[in-house]
Amino acid sequence: MFSDNNNLVKNTSHKVVLPFYLYAAFAFLAATILLFLSTNALNQHYFNPKIMAITHIMALGWGTMMILGASHQLVPVIIEGKLFSNILAHFSFITAAIGIPLLAYGFYVFNMGWPAQWGAILINTAILSYLGNLTLSMIKRKKVNVHATFVLTAALWLFVTTLVGLLLVYNFSDPILPTDSLHYLSLHAHLGIIGWFLLLVIGVGSRLIPMFLISKYSNTKLLWLIFGLINAGLLTFIIFFLYVPQISFYLISFASILFGIGSFGYYCYHSFKQRIRKKVDEIMKISLLSVIMMFLPVILLFTIIVWLLINSINPQLVLVYGFVIFFGWITAIILGMTFKTLPFIVWNKVYHLQAGLGKTPNPKDMFSSKIFSLMSIAYLAGFILFLIGVYLANNLLLKLASFLLLLAALFYNWNVLKIFSHKSVKL
Amino acid sequence: MNEITNNPIKCALALEALKDVIDPEIGLNVVDLGLIYQVDFDEENSKINTVFTLTTQFCPMGESITEAVKRALENAFPLMEVDLELTFDPAWNQEMISEAGINFLNQ
Repeated sequence: MFSDNNNLVKNTSHKVVLPFYLYAAFAFLAATILLFLSTNALNQHYFNPKIMAITHIMALGWGTMMILGASHQLVPVIIEGKLFSNILAHFSFITAAIGIPLLAYGFYVFNMGWPAQWGAILINTAILSYLGNLTLSMIKRKKVNVHATFVLTAALWLFVTTLVGLLLVYNFSDPILPTDSLHYLSLHAHLGIIGWFLLLVIGVGSRLIPMFLISKYSNTKLLWLIFGLINAGLLTFIIFFLYVPQISFYLISFASILFGIGSFGYYCYHSFKQRIRKKVDEIMKISLLSVIMMFLPVILLFTIIVWLLINSINPQLVLVYGFVIFFGWITAIILGMTFKTLPFIVWNKVYHLQAGLGKTPNPKDMFSSKIFSLMSIAYLAGFILFLIGVYLANNLLLKLASFLLLLAALFYNWNVLKIFSHKSVKL
Repeated sequence: MNEITNNPIKCALALEALKDVIDPEIGLNVVDLGLIYQVDFDEENSKINTVFTLTTQFCPMGESITEAVKRALENAFPLMEVDLELTFDPAWNQEMISEAGINFLNQ
């Protein structure tokens, strides 16, 4: 008998969460295969069909699907309440799962007609369902929670990003915007990168990093400051982009976002310093590396802005900037965090009814740590070689680097499938 | 031990059984983690009244840990009814981890 356990919030069902994880793992593999097959395209302008297709598979199929899965799972932890609807979450998955390959195919063959248009419509439907589900989950909560505010605002920016994306897709075949779609590309990209990925990573990371490190550090005021700085930076960027398109003005937005990221770095550093668990495992190391990796695109963006002030745009720098964000920062977070969350979800599914009836395997033993190490090595080597390859415009290096990234994706999928296929074991 | 029970001998047995319940996120058992606040034995009604907490009210493993605590006590004391009370007052904090627990985390 449980006498007073109403405080216990029910978890989101694994049936909601797991499809997102599996889809994201396959999308990562698909993106690295395409990258391996398309290294010739990397010497061209960044706005070409293959690079657009890979970028959207990475941003939507890999980054967004994984984050949607994890955020549905983490809703009770982050917003301190139950997920409003599992049906809406399933609907969100199905529409996104169909929409993403359609959009990517549209880009790959550069058919901006029905495949890209229907893809964009389905993706917008998925994001709107997610936003609605999140809003309705939070509406019952009376207390304002900084982490939940980050997540909800990030979802709102994601919707703005995909809505702009939808307009850009239609603008290709039927001009509905004042200028061509290429002009709005940086606006669309930064709405997603800053508004969606950065806000969400900080909102969730500021909750999970101290939790996994068992740290005493907490600083809500600092998190609100970071929230204000990043949103102010993004809002001013939109205003400057639309009404005062002068490069020097962008430095104001850049400074605000940089200060926000720097403050998050400070937050993570203090969480790390005040941790109870002194030994940091391999998975946390990769996750903490992604915090450091946040500064790499910032430095590149600053270089791009300065370059723009002196010269015209440098397409290679933009390509590296995009690569560092999607294959660097976002991928590093996911590679680490998958193995901090997925084993627990599957463990809960498999051992839910056996808990307390004897020893069960530890969630971290449900995947191979050796494969994880191999994945980390292949990933880091591929990432660094790729940057050198772009700098030297060396196709052989780019081929080798993309092969290593493909290898990392294979190792990742191996471990993910190992966790998925885990059967109950009694120790 | 006396502070959290009215029966130190039985409580020692209960805590030993509860050491099999691991918080999978942290890898440490619920006793050394400091999640068990009270284990009282009501012999008259054959009941074990247990007050416990979670590291956070919205712990993703909360349901699983709660069920595991119940099953571990039922297993150790099959003739007694287990009454669980989940509380967040006082809220768990890192200071509640035992010395053995801290040593385990630093292994």
